[in-house]
Amino acid sequence: MPSMGASSTIGLSGSRLKALDKYFSIFKIQLINAFAYPADLFSRVFSMLIFMWVFLQLWTVTYAAMGQTQIDGLTLRDTLWYLMIAEMVLLSKPRLARTIAENVKDGTVAYLLNRPYHFLLYQLSVGLGDSLLRMVVNAAAGGALIWLMLGPPPNWLGVPLVVIALLFAWCIDFCLNAMIGLLAFLTEDVSAFEWIYSKLVLILGGVLIPLDFFPDWLRDFALSLPFAYTTYAPARIFIDPAWSDFSGLLLRQVAWLVALSILLGLFFQLGVRRLNVNGG
Amino acid sequence: MKMFRELRFLTALWKANLLSAMEYRIPFLTQVLGMMLNNAVYFVFWVIFFDRFDNVGGWGLRDMFILFGIVATSFGLGIFLFGNATSLADHIATGRLDYYLSLPRPVLLHQLASRSVTSGLGDFFYGLVSFAFAGQYGPQSIARFLLGAIFGAMIFVSFLTLVQSLAFWIGNASMIASQATNAIITFALYPITLFDGSAKLILFTLIPAALVGSVPAEFVRAFTWTQLFQIVGAGLVICTLSIFVFYRGLRRYESGSAIQVQV
Amino acid sequence: MAAISVHRLAKSFEARQKAAGMRGSLRALVRPVKRLVEAVREISFEMDQAELLGFIGPNGAGKSTTIKMLTGILHPTSGHASVLDFVPWKQRQKLAFHIGTVFGQRPQLWYHLPAVDTFLLFGKIYEMDDRETERRIAFLAEAFEIQHLLETPVRKLSLGQRMRCEVAASLLHKPRLLLLDEPSIGLDVVAKQRIRDTVRRMNDEEGVGILLTSHDAGDIEALCKRVIIINHGQIIYQDRVSALKRQYLTTKQVDVRYDREIETAFTFPGVQVLKTGRYGMKLRFDSRRTSVERVISGLAEFGNLVDVTISDPSLERVIRTIYEADETRRKGERNGHA
Repeated sequence: MPSMGASSTIGLSGSRLKALDKYFSIFKIQLINAFAYPADLFSRVFSMLIFMWVFLQLWTVTYAAMGQTQIDGLTLRDTLWYLMIAEMVLLSKPRLARTIAENVKDGTVAYLLNRPYHFLLYQLSVGLGDSLLRMVVNAAAGGALIWLMLGPPPNWLGVPLVVIALLFAWCIDFCLNAMIGLLAFLTEDVSAFEWIYSKLVLILGGVLIPLDFFPDWLRDFALSLPFAYTTYAPARIFIDPAWSDFSGLLLRQVAWLVALSILLGLFFQLGVRRLNVNGG
Repeated sequence: MKMFRELRFLTALWKANLLSAMEYRIPFLTQVLGMMLNNAVYFVFWVIFFDRFDNVGGWGLRDMFILFGIVATSFGLGIFLFGNATSLADHIATGRLDYYLSLPRPVLLHQLASRSVTSGLGDFFYGLVSFAFAGQYGPQSIARFLLGAIFGAMIFVSFLTLVQSLAFWIGNASMIASQATNAIITFALYPITLFDGSAKLILFTLIPAALVGSVPAEFVRAFTWTQLFQIVGAGLVICTLSIFVFYRGLRRYESGSAIQVQV
Repeated sequence: MAAISVHRLAKSFEARQKAAGMRGSLRALVRPVKRLVEAVREISFEMDQAELLGFIGPNGAGKSTTIKMLTGILHPTSGHASVLDFVPWKQRQKLAFHIGTVFGQRPQLWYHLPAVDTFLLFGKIYEMDDRETERRIAFLAEAFEIQHLLETPVRKLSLGQRMRCEVAASLLHKPRLLLLDEPSIGLDVVAKQRIRDTVRRMNDEEGVGILLTSHDAGDIEALCKRVIIINHGQIIYQDRVSALKRQYLTTKQVDVRYDREIETAFTFPGVQVLKTGRYGMKLRFDSRRTSVERVISGLAEFGNLVDVTISDPSLERVIRTIYEADETRRKGERNGHA
């Protein structure tokens, strides 16, 4: 059954469309479900506004102290719109690694194997449905604050481009999280890996401080790892959608996504084989 | 005399807490060390920041060590000794105050001290390490640090009690309470010089982040009467206020019998 | 002197009404709809020192709310109560030194610690001196047969074992009154019986008064001398358990089986046939009008008996009969008013 992975989607015959439709329905249900927890949404928006407010003060003071309109090529407005996108990604993530790890441990994976959908694609649809509303709401709240204080986004071309970059970023994050979750096949508790990953994103993903302000060696190091492509890439593309930058970051995103999906597919196959041997 | 009796009772509670936590030695150590590491990762931000910029609003890396030190130590101390403050709203809404109400001890004190948040110990030690990095080893600075930490813990716990007590009036306040907690910690970890006007006023009153962060941190650097007065005064005021509000709310306590009717 | 006296005690709660989903939440936030729910409506009763009194009623009848007002957990909306001469909600801490409480659904033992650690902590909470605490623990451990359980972390005990420890813990400070709220909830038959026996013994030996709420008639039957039945926050019956039995336990039910198929209908004066199967029947009669002996001989003449079971209706049923009568009366009243 696991042959229904993304890799086997060749040609869009009628049955393929139906398969996609299935996942789209899962995504839709999850999205509607997210509307049922308004308190959760409100509290996310509140966090978003607090972080953005603090960043706004911090960087306003910093730019004023430097007496420059640009630091490493970024204006104050660029920096804040950058941080808004990065923070929005961070605060909209579902806790996928944990969910997947739980599914592995309680045997749901084995049970889902003979269902007419692929476990990973199912999780992807659910996660995307979970994230989408949060992303929109967080972006609206954070964006409104920055717009009000510093003005509109630096380049309107960034709006359509960031959607593409965000989708890739989300999928890269999904692959990494799913692999961490699948580690539950090997080890009892994956929360330590989950924790390490989230901290790596926080620092090397340039969430707290743009990678542009890093020392050169550290920035180069960060850019050679996948973490930056979950947060830095969409945020950077949003503020500076110049074609060269866009295509450069986007190409690297695609490369990472392809590599990580293949790796994830292998991971899953290995895990399932282990499951068959051990009998769940 | 009454103070002494309650203190003996608190000691017994804390002993039970510690025994309870030690039942799981490995998770205990993981949580303590994990939290220290966690805080250290956040501090990496400032290391990178000050590598690029000299100072922010007059604060440098050394000041940030003190700031993180005082906030982490006082927050850790607060939730290690009075860890149940973080679940007060939940206990109010679900009727779990019944237990404390059926025993002959002050309800609030008993509730607060009945659980230790283990990771708080990690925060506490991290704070001490961070303070040590700042290199202020004079006995007077150490004394000022301890004073700031103790009153900071008091303000943290009182603030938690205050927002969590909202549950008496609005039912489920856990979400609001945890957001308020996040807010006070977030704001406390930045220099107060970043904020001005109404924001500054809010951070001294509604969300007293300045009083657990920048004010004691500056007080550790150099003694001033104003700051001493602010720290001690704020501690006493918010503590009294939280006790008053809690007991006011307790009259409305519904022991989890309140029914939410879905229509 | 009465240990508990309650006069027109009432408690109502505000129930928040909320529609499902985002719009419902928003509306509830802007304009909350509240409804008053009267959990206890002006009840009055007394209980003597060393009495065994049972409170029984369906879920939501107001049993727990009453007991919580009597321990000072809840403030009443109106009315008076005194427990051991204290007003519970005003003198909660003082009262707590003299009463013990067990809430079946709210464990008091520390989950991760051995029970003995909670016992020692309770010793401190009740300001007992250490030697006294130890002596008392030894005594209770023997009485409740929990010597072997005390050193085990509570989370590893079975529900029945845990409940025995809970009740023992509530007696540590030699309370004069023990209030038990649903102590047998979720327990199996054997565990229930052990708890009942021990509680009874403590009442005998130490003269501790017992006020017990339950929705299980078995608790009342095995333990209580007097019963108060409560429904919709009002007392609908109060009397001695023996009187309750005498009044209602006169109906008998008989199940019979024969060795051959039943061909003709069975008729007997004073006996009501509830059900007839191919080989057996189910009958009911009033033992005050028709004696058991006569009915049985009548059944024996009817065919070759293979099996006979005679049973009383359970106290459970008796109480349900009382509720049902109350519901009918309520309906009548409501129609009468209209």
